[in-house]
Amino acid sequence: MKSAENKSSLINFTDYLSAKYDADSINITHSVIDDEVHLKISVTNSKTPSRLTLVNKNTNNFKVIAEINVESQSSFELIDENNYEMDTSFKMDTYLGDGSVFELYRFNKFKAETRNSFLHTCSLSKNSTFKDYNFTTGSDHTKNQTKINLNDKNSNYIGSGVVISNSSKCENYLDIRHLSDSAKSDCSFKAVSRGKSNVSFNGKVFVDEKCFNTVSNQISKGLLMDKDSKVNLTPILEINNDDVICSHGAASGKADEEILFYLASRGIAKADAERLYIQGFLSEFISKIDDSEMQTKGRKYIIENC
Amino acid sequence: MLDIKNLNVSVEDKLILKNLNLSLGKGQVHAIMGPNGSGKSTIAHTLAGKPNYDVNSGEVSFNGEDLLSKDPYERSLDGLFLAFQYPIELPGVTNASYLKQIVNAHRKSKNETPIDAGEFLKILKEKSKQLDIPMDMHSRFVNTGFSGGEKKKNEVLQMDLLDPSLIIMDETDSGLDVDALKSTAEAINKLRNSDRTFLIITHYLRLLEYIEPDFVHVFQNGSVIETGDKSLASKIDQEGYN
Ligand SMILES: Nc1ncnc2c1ncn2[C@@H]1O[C@H](COP(=O)(O)OP(=O)(O)OP(=O)(O)O)[C@@H](O)[C@H]1O
Ligand SMILES: [Mg+2]
Repeated sequence: MKSAENKSSLINFTDYLSAKYDADSINITHSVIDDEVHLKISVTNSKTPSRLTLVNKNTNNFKVIAEINVESQSSFELIDENNYEMDTSFKMDTYLGDGSVFELYRFNKFKAETRNSFLHTCSLSKNSTFKDYNFTTGSDHTKNQTKINLNDKNSNYIGSGVVISNSSKCENYLDIRHLSDSAKSDCSFKAVSRGKSNVSFNGKVFVDEKCFNTVSNQISKGLLMDKDSKVNLTPILEINNDDVICSHGAASGKADEEILFYLASRGIAKADAERLYIQGFLSEFISKIDDSEMQTKGRKYIIENC
Repeated sequence: MLDIKNLNVSVEDKLILKNLNLSLGKGQVHAIMGPNGSGKSTIAHTLAGKPNYDVNSGEVSFNGEDLLSKDPYERSLDGLFLAFQYPIELPGVTNASYLKQIVNAHRKSKNETPIDAGEFLKILKEKSKQLDIPMDMHSRFVNTGFSGGEKKKNEVLQMDLLDPSLIIMDETDSGLDVDALKSTAEAINKLRNSDRTFLIITHYLRLLEYIEPDFVHVFQNGSVIETGDKSLASKIDQEGYN
């Protein structure tokens, strides 16, 4: 069961940034230093997911540094579903205690002429899970960098990234470090590149010597909608162990002309046919979100931005 | 309503349609029969506007307008429908949502409002039942993993939903079982009226026995070599093309 709406409290960090959150299980301290919002968030005692939703008013650049601590056996959802019109810089350090679950949902639309960066380091303890969903449009310059440390047995990372870019630049770095045996990582990345966009994905998986019984999957796919757009997919594997189940794939290509012709033959104009095609390309990914509310948000995001 | 004059079409620099002439009147049903590779699908694709089909010379007028200068989607909105010999799969988009979108594209071009969800479902149920299409097929992705016959039925369903004035069926009967062939023929006969024209490409007499074409054309090596009434189809069925 999800946390009930009526339990949620509102906290204002600045006049442009606030959060709705479940005050029973989430403790927040904040300070503002040189325009930068510093947050310390700790989550305790929450068997059902506690939720924090960021609310941004777009009157200032968004600069946030957050330290998040999800205590053992607790469960936390962070939702950032904002259309940003100013520059953003979001730095997060997350620590997940034994048996905890963290779900991060970012459905972000950025304005073309802005610069945006998101840097996240997440360390996972025994039996903890991090589900990481990032949806972005890209902008003049967007950089997403996520570092995952799988520090203990049965720690589990599930990550998905969707980029729907239009005349934008979007760099994505994912660095997954298997530092314990019996940990799992599963990551998928899909990018649609249009209007002279340039999207890159560097997906690195490192498996340490002692890490037997490791499972790691990574798939990245790029869809090029015109000849001036680019997608660069770079999987990098460094595996120092034999007892690893690994599947990795990267592929990018143009839209299938046969499909676009089929749609046209049914009366669907080119731009609409391309949109439908993109929706199809990304929908495989949406079905991976198991929370139905978030799945609906993901579908809505794709329809609105493609 | 459709006039093809001296049409020469090449694909990948290979001349396929050679000085083709064909005229279809309003309300008529024409059948085309011809050996494999003779260019039947090439006519269908050229009429629908498939990219990379080069029209070297010739003209096609559709309801008095120049068909070949139009985009494929405009041809559809003008009332041309092609049921594909090999329907295309579109992963990630459910058949129901796709069907609704194609219906709405046509409504929009007629300045009509998008179809009401309940009304669409009602129509979809009714037409699916006639074609013996199970409703759960519509929650699957478009043609993805459909059997050969299911894909063909889905083409007929789309034809039925879009209310076209010129229907080109490229071997829609191939791959259909006896019952499906019958329900497809029934759907065609139901749509048959004095305003609607059919061009039916087939290898088999069976479909033509159900729908009784007004004209049968024998196609060979890129052009029509003989035209007759439905008895020509029986003759081909018995004697072959040689
Ligand atoms: N993309 C292509 N590149 C080269 N040749 C092509 C291409 N498409 C079609 N052809 C050739 O054009 C000729 C006519 O093909 P078409 O598909 O029109 O035949 P058809 O009469 O429909 O045959 P069937 O009865 O087997 O469906 C064939 O020789 C085929 O190989
Ligand atoms: Mg053919």
